[in-house]
Amino acid sequence: MNAIQIKNVTKRYKNVAALHDVSFSFESGKIYGFLGRNGAGKSTLINIIANRIFADSGEILIDDLPAKENIKVHEKIFCMSEADLYDAGLKVKDLFKWINRFYDSFDLDKAFEIAGKFNLDTNKKFKALSKGYQSIFKLTVALSLMVPYVIFDEPVLGLDANHRELFYDLLLKDFQHNERTIIIATHLIEEVANIIEEVVLIDQGKVLLQDHVSTLMEMGYSIYGPAKEVDAYCADKNIIGYDELGNLKIAYVLGEKTPLPKNSNLSASAMNLQKLFVKLTEKGGI
Amino acid sequence: MKKLKAAVQYECMTSFKFIWIFYAIQYAVVLLITLIVGISMGTFENLGTDVLEMNTLIYIGILGALGFKEDFKMLIQNGFTRRQIFTATLSMFCFISGIMAFVDTVVGNVIHHFNSGYSSLYSGIYGYDNIFMNWLWLFLLYVTLCNLLYLLMLIINKVGKTASIYLGVAAGGMVLLIIAVFKYVLSAEAVASMISFFMKSMGFMPDGTINCMFPVLTLAALAAIFGTGSYAIIRHTELK
Repeated sequence: MNAIQIKNVTKRYKNVAALHDVSFSFESGKIYGFLGRNGAGKSTLINIIANRIFADSGEILIDDLPAKENIKVHEKIFCMSEADLYDAGLKVKDLFKWINRFYDSFDLDKAFEIAGKFNLDTNKKFKALSKGYQSIFKLTVALSLMVPYVIFDEPVLGLDANHRELFYDLLLKDFQHNERTIIIATHLIEEVANIIEEVVLIDQGKVLLQDHVSTLMEMGYSIYGPAKEVDAYCADKNIIGYDELGNLKIAYVLGEKTPLPKNSNLSASAMNLQKLFVKLTEKGGI
Repeated sequence: MKKLKAAVQYECMTSFKFIWIFYAIQYAVVLLITLIVGISMGTFENLGTDVLEMNTLIYIGILGALGFKEDFKMLIQNGFTRRQIFTATLSMFCFISGIMAFVDTVVGNVIHHFNSGYSSLYSGIYGYDNIFMNWLWLFLLYVTLCNLLYLLMLIINKVGKTASIYLGVAAGGMVLLIIAVFKYVLSAEAVASMISFFMKSMGFMPDGTINCMFPVLTLAALAAIFGTGSYAIIRHTELK
């Protein structure tokens, strides 16, 4: 099976369960949004997939190969991490050259080309780069590696708006020419909402939902109007959150939209991905 | 195998350039001190230094201690397994130790040739009879030290700062305990036989002859023990 399969993965840090029996798959050829609040377990799971830390139980399979301590998955997956793990004393161009030796699928020319687009000075040492340019270096490496699975953990950390746009543009162009699985773990949901096809939402170490963005957009809506009417309409619905303003109320509903009662003062509107994310993670479950 | 070769190359080549910086600084300092003392004393006779390998031991020790953290992060980021990281690090230790042992052996013997008052670490213990054994002994000594400090750094990383301090205190207590055991518990005969065993392991035979293979085998065994311990820990090491 061409996918990253996460099977019953549990990870604890002392008394805290960072991941609790997590099971799902990242299928081949899709762009995923891997979303969750701070401390939800995103980075822990990414680190387990990338063999940086170990699961207490469960396993990760990449194209049916165990990801743990297995050099056979070396050319299959790359994880751009939020943390700075590169040799900070080396120049950017030297880091590119070493990565070119480490990976058969690294395109050195493309790396220098992307670095040029971002005005990344390849003669500078990694430690001399600003936080934004350190992120640019890391995402340049990820974009230049032609592996089937690429994970971006907070890829636009410290990037200005222009550079963020450039990154998303390069990512989509790259995906059009070379379809592969791209997983973006980020807090900037609205920015990636138009890019991602499928969402995996994780909260408190558990997967809250995994679905297509379009399906989620169809499933989630908000009802606005007088509090009593909103409550009456929502009585038999799956409410994931409320906002109140005086006598007025907004209910955030997950499920099939039923027609509004005749002559009511209610109005319905679509819910964006960020609002859906916020309300789901506030509630802590569906 | 190609991946491992790349990791080994990375480890060796990124450490290689620092050797020459180290030697340049070391010999510059020796020259400077010699000039200052010689000029101030008005004579260069009887001036000099001994056992320059001690500086290399300090450098090698730092290399062993630093061999873990930065390189582990860099290589794990680039998808290498812990087994490969360990192999690459060990290869780097051997590569650097081999070169530095070679330089120190050559320099020690050349200086002694021109200035018989100079004594290198190996020759001070075993004499100047065998240059190859001199290199081999130094090489194994450097590798052993690298492996020991690498192991210690892995233990500190694994157990954390507080537990490491407790372990350090416990190790200090153990040393005092061993001294007390030797002094008050063991019989003089037992102590003498242990000292004899230790001396043999260092190549000093009871009949007064020197066996150069024994210290080499002892150091190789110690390097293997520390290396095995390091591998056992790095297999379970997580990125922090």
